[in-house]
Amino acid sequence: MTPRIGDMLTYLAGIVLAALFLMPLLWLVSLSLRTPAEVYLGAARFIPEAPTLDNFRLILTDRAFGTYLWNAVKLCALGALGAVAVATPAAYAASRFTFRGKGPLMVGILMVQMISPLVVIIPLYRYLDRLGLLESHASVIAVYMAIGVPLSVWLIKVGFDAIPAALEEAAAIDGCNRAEILLRITLPLAAPALASAFILNMIMGWSQFLVPFILLTRDGQLPIAVAIYNFAGSSSASTTQLLAAACLVAVVPALAAFLALQRLIVRAIMAGAVKG
Amino acid sequence: MRYALAYPLTAALALSASAAFPQDLITRDRVGPADAPNVMTFRLTAFDLYSSDDATREFFEEKFLALMADYPDWRIETQLQTDNIGQEQARMLEQVRAGRGPDCAMIDSSQLGLFKAAGVLSPMNAHFTQAQIDDLFPFVRDGVSDAEGNVLAWWWFTSLQVLYRDTSLVPDAPATWDDLQAAALTTVEAGREGVLFNGGRWEGTAFDWLPNFWAQGGELVDADGRPVFNEGDNRDKMLAAINFYKDLVDSGAAPSRVTTIINYDEFNAAAAAGTAGLFIGGNWQYGQLRGTLPEDQFANWELSELPGPTADQRATGTGGWTIGAFSDDPTAVEICARMAYEIYATEGNAFQGLLPTSASIYDAYDTFEGPEYDAFAEALVNGVARPGVAIYPEISNQLQILLGDVLSGTATPEEALDAAAAAVDAAFERL
Amino acid sequence: MTGDRRIWLWFAPVLVVLGGVFLIPVADVIRFSFSDATLLRPITGYGLDGYASAYGDSSLPVILRNTGLFTLLSVVSLQAVGLAIALLLVRGDRRGLYGMGLLRTIVLAAWVIPGIANGLIWQMLLSEAPFGAVNSLLRLIGLAPVAWLSDPDNAMLSAVIANVWQGSAFSMIVFYAARRAVDPVLYEAAAVDGASPTAQFLFITIPQMRGAILVNTILVTIQTLNTFDTILALTGGGPGRATEVLSLNIFNRVFYSYDLGGGSALAVLLLAISMMLTLVYLAVLMRRGAR
Repeated sequence: MTPRIGDMLTYLAGIVLAALFLMPLLWLVSLSLRTPAEVYLGAARFIPEAPTLDNFRLILTDRAFGTYLWNAVKLCALGALGAVAVATPAAYAASRFTFRGKGPLMVGILMVQMISPLVVIIPLYRYLDRLGLLESHASVIAVYMAIGVPLSVWLIKVGFDAIPAALEEAAAIDGCNRAEILLRITLPLAAPALASAFILNMIMGWSQFLVPFILLTRDGQLPIAVAIYNFAGSSSASTTQLLAAACLVAVVPALAAFLALQRLIVRAIMAGAVKG
Repeated sequence: MRYALAYPLTAALALSASAAFPQDLITRDRVGPADAPNVMTFRLTAFDLYSSDDATREFFEEKFLALMADYPDWRIETQLQTDNIGQEQARMLEQVRAGRGPDCAMIDSSQLGLFKAAGVLSPMNAHFTQAQIDDLFPFVRDGVSDAEGNVLAWWWFTSLQVLYRDTSLVPDAPATWDDLQAAALTTVEAGREGVLFNGGRWEGTAFDWLPNFWAQGGELVDADGRPVFNEGDNRDKMLAAINFYKDLVDSGAAPSRVTTIINYDEFNAAAAAGTAGLFIGGNWQYGQLRGTLPEDQFANWELSELPGPTADQRATGTGGWTIGAFSDDPTAVEICARMAYEIYATEGNAFQGLLPTSASIYDAYDTFEGPEYDAFAEALVNGVARPGVAIYPEISNQLQILLGDVLSGTATPEEALDAAAAAVDAAFERL
Repeated sequence: MTGDRRIWLWFAPVLVVLGGVFLIPVADVIRFSFSDATLLRPITGYGLDGYASAYGDSSLPVILRNTGLFTLLSVVSLQAVGLAIALLLVRGDRRGLYGMGLLRTIVLAAWVIPGIANGLIWQMLLSEAPFGAVNSLLRLIGLAPVAWLSDPDNAMLSAVIANVWQGSAFSMIVFYAARRAVDPVLYEAAAVDGASPTAQFLFITIPQMRGAILVNTILVTIQTLNTFDTILALTGGGPGRATEVLSLNIFNRVFYSYDLGGGSALAVLLLAISMMLTLVYLAVLMRRGAR
């Protein structure tokens, strides 16, 4: 098979996959462009007869929308950053050292991943209430960190595993100590894994509903995933169209963060490849 | 500053809808001066102060400001409540029990019993006149009162189910179950979908079906709140009501897709697409149809009381929302009660076209003069509220499963009913 | 080379965060599971009633069957789709093809769309009304419409489809990073030896990505076991109980029946299932790797 044909097939598969993933999104776009009257047509009409950008205008000019987005960015980014920061040393140790109890410890950390927010949310609420930490962003960030840590430890460990120990040994011969090696050699090489872990955490936080819903109540504290119901409207006029527009706008910051970091991952890999 | 960095576009475009009012007196999450020494929290749905409709929001902002002018050293902090009612009320209950609940809150009428039983609501008697209380419809008064006659919440609007029909195919309102099946089959012959109703896994399914059970005099729970729907006569009435729906689907009078319907908007869509002949929907959908359908098409749609097993046995389920206070502060309770009556129950209903809960309010506003309101008033005579007991949500859940299993052919009515009753009894034991 | 004491220092931050947040709540879940806890009142007694009522529930076998089916189908499809897209992207990047960023963005957008939109979208797509989107398309190309949601078996399939649509991005990201980390020298050597693309895939890509596949399998399984919002939005668990999975059942039990004790007892079961599956994966894949 020539590369040419391979390229054609790649394009073909790419287009099919993109179409399959895009179709549902286009329905959301269709909803977001409708007037209230056309929303009730539901699946009966795909292309709105009287498309309007009013829904987007309404949301983008609502000052509170910015606050909700900012809350979400803050909670997710700090939660993700915290998770990666605490997970990195553990992942490094798990990748490089052999010691008694390592297997059970790593499995134990993974077990924590199995605790879904649904299962612990009520006890967590009561626990944070006793500590007086409810209704604060700090406690939500701490919970996001805890939710993200197991995944981060494992993903970053896989990243460290892929870096040849020979590189570190060479540095050790040159007189670098463990911390210097980690900071100067290993971490930069592990940047793709760190960035992937960060992205995954960030986005998983972005779609968290239950945790902020239960732990926060003040309107000004809410992240967009909860506050989106602010646009769910009234019983006398369905506001699905606003909800759809709000959902689409809410996607943008998460996508932007992803694309920015994606570039970082690719660049880091390129740098690694040149050295290797 | 931080805000501007996070969202420069909005900051640049920002045109606050509440600019007409003094900025410091009303914001997205506050009514009253920011530095007022007293604070009360109010948890509300997204339909009024949070409405995305400018006119609606401005109307309520004005009403709230007017009321709060009487309380210059108070401010209200508003908290949004999502439309996932079950989850929302469970959260509120947990918060109230932790001493962190709102001071005043909107509570769905079907969940009010839960809060009454938990003993967390502050009586509001002092803030209503006896005449106002006596004027409430009997089922409403019973719903909000405790055994000692205290008014624990104000039920400010109600809703009910009605049968919508396309009069070009079904000129006369079906009065009985048999009439409905025959009428639906007529519409099927004309290429329509027959009769549509909620049949998926959500509260609307149980609520819209229950009138068929109630119309026969069936009771879900006894006077002590124990589930009895599978005992004695009730069992036969249950089975009759289940078989009514089953026959509709089996005969083709209703499409099998009813088991997927978990949203009233589906009916509007089908009406607009011209595929619906009849549907069982909420009273508020009349206004939605008016706004959606072309005028000539809308003219064909009429509503009537839900059919019963016989023309004389009718019922409809009444819903709606209440406002109750969890605060111990007398002033907060007073503000809460005044909001409920002066803002929501009277002028708010007239503005939004929601059904008031007492006869005198209907008479007081022109909004309620349309012919559809006469039909609603007529049907309300046979209104039945869901039992205000903590086991109701689980009864509803099991009825949804029961109807889904029967209508999709997974279980016979008898099997499904026995399974539902066993599950409800087990849950009741654990409450 | 490092003393056991100092090893634990590397793990200290993780243990502090996890312990600080989860230790007491999880202990409470276990305590609640042995109690008559409800959301309505304080605990009045302890015992095995929660387990008896939750595990004796006649619907549990159906729910477990649903959970098994949903998890199996989802995990296999999520990974297959995620891997396919990741490899496609890597090939596209290498060849400098256009539109790879766009494909990546679209798949990712599906993941970050708020859960509430999911229900809106799929309800319309799979609607069985005469005007339902997918069925209209099928009719257009001369195929019979499908009872996507009203037929109990199809409903499960539809739930899996919606879940795969939303969740594939996760596997895509993990596999993409892992595939990019594979040393290109391996492929060059294989190409020199005349290995076919299939052989390269089987003997280089898969073995080199074994670690990532293992971790991803575990993570995706756990996520799927805990997923219920997509199903809740699409079918609510219906028709009947056709799509009710264990996590949705727990949600209903706690938030609709207020039965914290029974819900906690089932949560312990969910946890046990997750752990068992993880240990099985680890055992199977580790052994295969060692060989």
